[in-house]
Amino acid sequence: MTFVANSTLSRGSRSGWAEALRMPPIVALSFLITATIIAWSIAPQLFTAYSPVVGVPADKLLGPSAEHWFGTDHLGRDLYARVVYGTASSVSSALVAVVIGVLAGGLIGLLAGFLGGWVDVVLARLVDVLLSIPKFLLAVIVVTAIGFETINAAIATGVSAVAIFARVTRAEVIKTRQATFVEAAFLSGGSRWFILWRHILPNASRSVLPLAVLQFGESILVIASLAFLGYGDPPPASDWGLLISIGKDYLKWPWLVYAPAFITIVTVLSVNRISRWLRKTD
Amino acid sequence: MSNAYLTYAAKRLGQAVVVILLAYVFTFVVVSILPGDPITSVLRNPQNGFSEEEIAEIIAAQGLDKPIIVQLWHSLSGFLTGDLGMSMRSNRPVSTLIAEVLPSTLILASAGLAVALVLAMLVAYGTRFVPKRYGQGLLRGFPSLFLSVPNFVIGLVLIHLFGFQLGLFRVINPDSFWATLFAAIALGIPISAQIAEVLIANLDKEAEQEYATVARSRGIGQARLFASHLLKPASLPVVTVIALTIGELLGGSLITETVFGRTGIGSLVQRSVSTQDLPVLQAIVSLGAVIFVLVNLVADLLYPLLDPRVKILGGQKRQPTTADETSIGPTRVVTP
Repeated sequence: MTFVANSTLSRGSRSGWAEALRMPPIVALSFLITATIIAWSIAPQLFTAYSPVVGVPADKLLGPSAEHWFGTDHLGRDLYARVVYGTASSVSSALVAVVIGVLAGGLIGLLAGFLGGWVDVVLARLVDVLLSIPKFLLAVIVVTAIGFETINAAIATGVSAVAIFARVTRAEVIKTRQATFVEAAFLSGGSRWFILWRHILPNASRSVLPLAVLQFGESILVIASLAFLGYGDPPPASDWGLLISIGKDYLKWPWLVYAPAFITIVTVLSVNRISRWLRKTD
Repeated sequence: MSNAYLTYAAKRLGQAVVVILLAYVFTFVVVSILPGDPITSVLRNPQNGFSEEEIAEIIAAQGLDKPIIVQLWHSLSGFLTGDLGMSMRSNRPVSTLIAEVLPSTLILASAGLAVALVLAMLVAYGTRFVPKRYGQGLLRGFPSLFLSVPNFVIGLVLIHLFGFQLGLFRVINPDSFWATLFAAIALGIPISAQIAEVLIANLDKEAEQEYATVARSRGIGQARLFASHLLKPASLPVVTVIALTIGELLGGSLITETVFGRTGIGSLVQRSVSTQDLPVLQAIVSLGAVIFVLVNLVADLLYPLLDPRVKILGGQKRQPTTADETSIGPTRVVTP
């Protein structure tokens, strides 16, 4: 049946894997930073002995030191601990946003590209509409409609990313559908859905991956912005955007803004660098 | 103006009208059908002190007791005739509320766009003149750095450095020249990254074209090559990119206004969000979509006139430089 074309394809990509694992040092560093951030979000208690919620009032607004790496806030809480404990919701919500974008956008793009005809026309208009509403405003009204919580901010961010995923997936599907091996699969009697699942989906997903990684970085920024405006979980939580928002009222003690901002920027930079590398090696 | 261009323009115009109408319906659906219920959350809030008769009156005035499809029809026909309805909180027309704050946001947004353009050109054209040894890589790295910094952080850093440390402006007076300038810088930096990225990519591509090689082989200098051969073809596609960043410009001003304490569309959104004033939100989001679609329509209509390389065939635009051949509608730039 269709296995000839397919098996050569997968062998080609497997030998490519060993090649692909060689990477420039800056990319290795980006992976290291991302791994640290993920570790922070899984097991924050391993990285700091301080509590993110209970502070020592006598130690309030201390500068960065060996004891308090990022200093302490207005309630004497260790800022490093707050950043580490805030990672889980900042990062996992970005993940939720990307998953929503990939699944919903991918499905729309897949159907539009594969079925074509009126389905394509209708879905393309839907995507145009989603693109026409400024992304951040869209996220703001969605989060307003479903309530101020970090998980809702993540959903809102995901909704605002659906259009871009739909568009890229559609373009990829159309490109793959015209490939000779897909034509061969049709000729040898493969059904539409089999070909969609076996050939089109794996090939289209290859270029969606770098985009998903890129959107992960952007979602961290959008969710931080929503948290900054107060549309995330309320204060005892310590999302990065919320920390920066609290810090802005204490600009005399600038580390309260600079430390969480630095972590946010470094994380997004690393994620973006990985995305660029993925796209180049593809 | 050829026949093909007119067909293309008519098609594009029709498309824009359809997208605007659908965007309005989409916003309406998001605002009114999703769980949050404005009637209980705002009107029945004891802090507002509405009596039952007043609540009934507001509900009748807003038409909230009618079926959703009737409400949509009412709202959409109002939108088409320029009537954006009444604010649920202040009992004033939404259009008045928006008209009051729009100028301030337009000033900020245009200043932000100007900053973005200047910065993007400095960075992108700089890569042509700064040799590899002296930091061209650094210059090329700027766009991805700028894209990774949230604009409220840029705003806070600017306020901290120039407002608090150097005393150049006072946060208490957000409409002063310096405060506006720094707000525009905070807004413009992330947007400049997207423009610079496209400019750099285009310059690199044009420099590899055969005509550039020919010019170089005739002994033309780097500066002449840039000014008389590369500059124009590489810069024209930016018209399309600018149009696409309009959405981010609007979304970004929302945050920048909050950081700098300016009054504008952003602060109106903030206030309407916290009071669940849905008619105002509906109007602002639809207005954002209208602006985005119109600006992109103008850009798409102007572009074939500006760039002779773009051919219009059978009502479809064929653009050799930035177009994603397989997509319908405005091409979205994927930022690396």
